[in-house]
Amino acid sequence: MQTFVQAVILGVLTGGLYALMASGLTLVFGIMRVINVAQGAFVILAAYLSYSLFGHLGLDPFLSILLLMPAMFVAGVLTQLVFVRSLRGEHASEMSLLVTWALALGIEGLLSIGYKTTVRATNTGYANKSWTLGSYRFSEPRVYGFAASVVILLGLYSLLRFTRFGRSIRAVVQNPTSARLLGVNERLVSALGFGIGAATAAAAGALYGIVYPFNPGSHYDLISRLLSIIVLGGLGSVGGAVLAAMLLGVTESVVAVEYSPTWASMSFFAILILVLLVRPQGFFGLRERVL
Amino acid sequence: MSFLRLHDVCAGYGQADILRGVSLELEAGTVTCVIGPNGAGKSTVLRVLSGLLKPRVGTVEFAGDPVGGLSPAVLLRKGIVHVPQERSLFPLMTIWDNLLMGGHSLRDGALARRRAGEIAERFPLIEERRHERAGTLSGGQQKLIEIARALMLDPRLILLDEPTMGLDAKARHAVFETVKSLNEGGRTILLVEQNARLGLSVSHVGAVMDMGVVRLVDEASKLLGDPRVAALYLGGNPDTRANGGAARAQG
Repeated sequence: MQTFVQAVILGVLTGGLYALMASGLTLVFGIMRVINVAQGAFVILAAYLSYSLFGHLGLDPFLSILLLMPAMFVAGVLTQLVFVRSLRGEHASEMSLLVTWALALGIEGLLSIGYKTTVRATNTGYANKSWTLGSYRFSEPRVYGFAASVVILLGLYSLLRFTRFGRSIRAVVQNPTSARLLGVNERLVSALGFGIGAATAAAAGALYGIVYPFNPGSHYDLISRLLSIIVLGGLGSVGGAVLAAMLLGVTESVVAVEYSPTWASMSFFAILILVLLVRPQGFFGLRERVL
Repeated sequence: MSFLRLHDVCAGYGQADILRGVSLELEAGTVTCVIGPNGAGKSTVLRVLSGLLKPRVGTVEFAGDPVGGLSPAVLLRKGIVHVPQERSLFPLMTIWDNLLMGGHSLRDGALARRRAGEIAERFPLIEERRHERAGTLSGGQQKLIEIARALMLDPRLILLDEPTMGLDAKARHAVFETVKSLNEGGRTILLVEQNARLGLSVSHVGAVMDMGVVRLVDEASKLLGDPRVAALYLGGNPDTRANGGAARAQG
């Protein structure tokens, strides 16, 4: 029982980080019907930037989030304006897949040139510390990372739920034509939404770097998990992505501890397939676009 | 001077023109119903007027100003709102948030909430179910909320595209009572309706469209008894088409 609870604790802490990464990806899909397969590369890019800020300036990764989020927000907006905005027509979604994949490969290439392919990790003073509560251990960097993810996700929720801009994002997600007819500037929402997606990747990357080792090719594994999460949660649903990320974290952790690490990843994909057989739209996805 | 004037408007999707020279004039404070067979271009006229589709050729004037090709956001500010044929509420938002979205163009949040409160007094359904998701409403209820939402900007011209499509008799009656009440409040309404008899019965003026042009414009009560209407509505009458220019009258 103790190992089970310990595995659940680890799974929840891991799930929080994945929830942060996936929230931006699903938001961008909801707004633009663009699957940004560069989201994993954005995360790894931010992990490297945070690694460098820590290595050269001694800036703690949690503080680097304050720099990286606005910087990558701007980079995300520019990326949308330069690479994604011009894609139009009935094949725009497929084209965007190719464009963002090219972007991911470009980022990977630049990181490989700049940092080589050596595996790195942001080794802070608390990287290997943990607390003990009763008979359970809590890894410090994972707890900090989880707490930061929760704070940023609550900020994102508040933005979407309580602001005029957030309402216009939700409107575009649920019914883009209707949103246009009510005066919502869909192009502006798309650009800013892409920026928000990149900003969440920035925060997640800084946190990822203190929990996991990474190299420029780490984005391949990340994006496959993130895509699975947003499909299970329901494309476009931030709440669904959070739930699915928690499910991924806990399932993988419990299966790895109770059975075998070999089956950990497969167990989540089995759940994904079973859920999609019953609910093709995922947990909270719209069955179809309304207009 | 007409409140709204379209002159020889051509518009469509891709290379194909749906509208092939539409001319129509509306007087302020009237309800005008556009009828015609499927594919006549009725909804496309509304899409041009609300800015969803740019006219390729022709002029559109609203209150004396040229407005052809302007964006939906600009046209909203000028006082033109469009309630489309398809369900246009945001299904996962509350009814209250849907209403507030109607006032998205208002920079003043307090004004938007005050307007929403005034509209809620007029539509009891909003007050009763304001915290429920819009997707839980019936089709007729959704259409009423869509019309209510269109009032948030205090529009001068309301474009209603087949508001009774798919509704039962009771819901249709509620929608048309709302249309009449809005017009009695002084608003100009351009209504597209597949059910010609029903649409013309609440309108002052009727316009018959076929093959992308307006074939006939007359008082709605006269059109109701006009044998040419039935002929055009069923797919076109060669005699009327040949005399299309002569038959065209401005309401």
